[in-house]
Amino acid sequence: SVQAHKEEDNPQKTMEVNGPTPVPVPVPVPDSYDYDLIIIGGGSGGLAAAKEAAKYEKKVMVLDFVKPTPQGSSWGLGGTCVNVGCIPKKLMHQAALLGQALQDSRKFGWQFTEEVKHNWMTMTESVQNYIGSLNWGYRVALRDKKVTYENAYGEFVGPHTVKATNKKGIEKLYTAERFIIATGERPRYLGIPGDKEYCISSDDLFSLPYCPGKTLVVGASYVALECAGFLAGLGLDVTVMVRSILLRGFDQDMANRIGEYMKDHGVNFIREFVPIKVEQVADGAPGILKVTAKSTAGDQIIEGEYNTVLLAIGRDSCTRKIGLDKVGVNINEKTGKIPVNDEEQTNVPYIYAIGDILQDKLELTPVAIQAGRLLVRRLYAGATTKCDYVNVPTTVFTPLEYGACGYSEETAVKKFGEENIEVYHSHFWPLEWTVPSRDNNKCYAKIICNIQDNERVIGFHVLGPNAGEVTQGFAAAMKCGLTKEQLDSTIGIHPVCAEV
Amino acid sequence: MGWEEKEVRGYPEFVQAAQSYHGRPIFALFCGDKDAEGKSWCPDCVTAEPIVRKELHNLPDKSVFIYCLVGDRAYWKDPNNEFRRNLKLTGVPTLLKYGTPQKLVEEECFKAELVRMLFTED
Repeated sequence: SVQAHKEEDNPQKTMEVNGPTPVPVPVPVPDSYDYDLIIIGGGSGGLAAAKEAAKYEKKVMVLDFVKPTPQGSSWGLGGTCVNVGCIPKKLMHQAALLGQALQDSRKFGWQFTEEVKHNWMTMTESVQNYIGSLNWGYRVALRDKKVTYENAYGEFVGPHTVKATNKKGIEKLYTAERFIIATGERPRYLGIPGDKEYCISSDDLFSLPYCPGKTLVVGASYVALECAGFLAGLGLDVTVMVRSILLRGFDQDMANRIGEYMKDHGVNFIREFVPIKVEQVADGAPGILKVTAKSTAGDQIIEGEYNTVLLAIGRDSCTRKIGLDKVGVNINEKTGKIPVNDEEQTNVPYIYAIGDILQDKLELTPVAIQAGRLLVRRLYAGATTKCDYVNVPTTVFTPLEYGACGYSEETAVKKFGEENIEVYHSHFWPLEWTVPSRDNNKCYAKIICNIQDNERVIGFHVLGPNAGEVTQGFAAAMKCGLTKEQLDSTIGIHPVCAEV
Repeated sequence: MGWEEKEVRGYPEFVQAAQSYHGRPIFALFCGDKDAEGKSWCPDCVTAEPIVRKELHNLPDKSVFIYCLVGDRAYWKDPNNEFRRNLKLTGVPTLLKYGTPQKLVEEECFKAELVRMLFTED
């Protein structure tokens, strides 16, 4: 399907190949534009593209608008990552790690008599304050670079034309030569009674004005496991309700190890159940909710009471209500994702798309940023470099962190055949864990090599502390074509986890 | 009602002023002390002050503009002075909206556009 789009992208080329073909007469197009570029969405991708375009003295507008959650949560400029994603997540994960460190510290000689407790409001206020400084920083950066920013909901109304509606309902029309759609995603709801009234999502969690208390996390995504992980780390009673497998799309052996670790460390799991109803038992901050769930493997029904129910079952692209039909941009009707060619161009030549809304691309902030920057350089600076979506490293910040780059074992087996890959693996015990007697057989690393290609390292997986820091360097090495032999001949740093 | 200005010197006076205006939007400009001729030891403050003052008419109604002289150069250079410790100031001039993470530091204060944005937008 991407191949087919490539031809249609360039009507001139089509005409050269097939001879003059009747082209549909377009609706009157403005003959001059208000802007060179309008970007719909002020998140990781959108802002990176905007700042880059400003460097080439282009007239740029960014439209960013957050539709409040069912619970009423909203946030400022910067998108998901900054406001309700990576940033607050990592800070709260850190808060939980610090709790663990405090416990470990006694074995290292630190003496304190009081029991250590956690205050949700103190943590949340600090996190939100930092996020506020990021929102402000982005606004200063855009204004300084003369990028026009409007806090308004953008949608296409005709060729080269968008309508921007601000929170007061005031509408304005703007035209541009080119557009970048970078609208991102929002959490999915279950579609069961009580979900929108009583449940929260990651959009609400990081600014929740009260401690969530006993929490049920519904889902098995990295969002679900990361949130469940830090909530438990802060001392809360946490249960995760999983429909089938953990971390779909990730290496399943690693996913199961993550799950086992969380279970051993106090997170309850209810496997093969889905909620069918959420009711309020008592109002409050938090209140008490009753969740009724049905087994996916039979007729069993269970009930449970929780202070908070956090839904983390997936995210849906914000592509259905932005007027794409008015300009003829194709989307995958089932998933809402936008297919693009390898230059991030949609089927409409002057409309591009980047970030989480792209079909078959990794949903990561650095990917969106890179795609946005390179796209703008190709558009305005004569560059030709395209975004490299291969071997993009990633990290899941569960209590035991997981860093990965390249193929999962299952995908490698499927693509190359079991006999053509070699997996090298090892458990390791971080030195820092020895003294406080923490698990000695849970940290784990493996590499997957392609035998037919000089034992090229095609998959890297590590489960242990600071997994993100460890993985970054190996991702660069893999980009350079790291082989097992080169890895073996690299002397390790001692004593660190990465030397394994 | 428009806006009003209050001039203070030193940290305790600043805190007292901020507390007394609790409930109203408070904007504050922190500058180095001025000598007998009215010239500050901080050259960037000398540049920024007129630019900031030119935008004051944009302040929302009922807001307060606190003009705060922080102290002499030696006091300011001390990494432990109360402004650095408690208000997390990193440089002078600093123009900020009190109680929010919104601020402009040093050369940012030279840009009328940014000053206006701080005064007029949420």
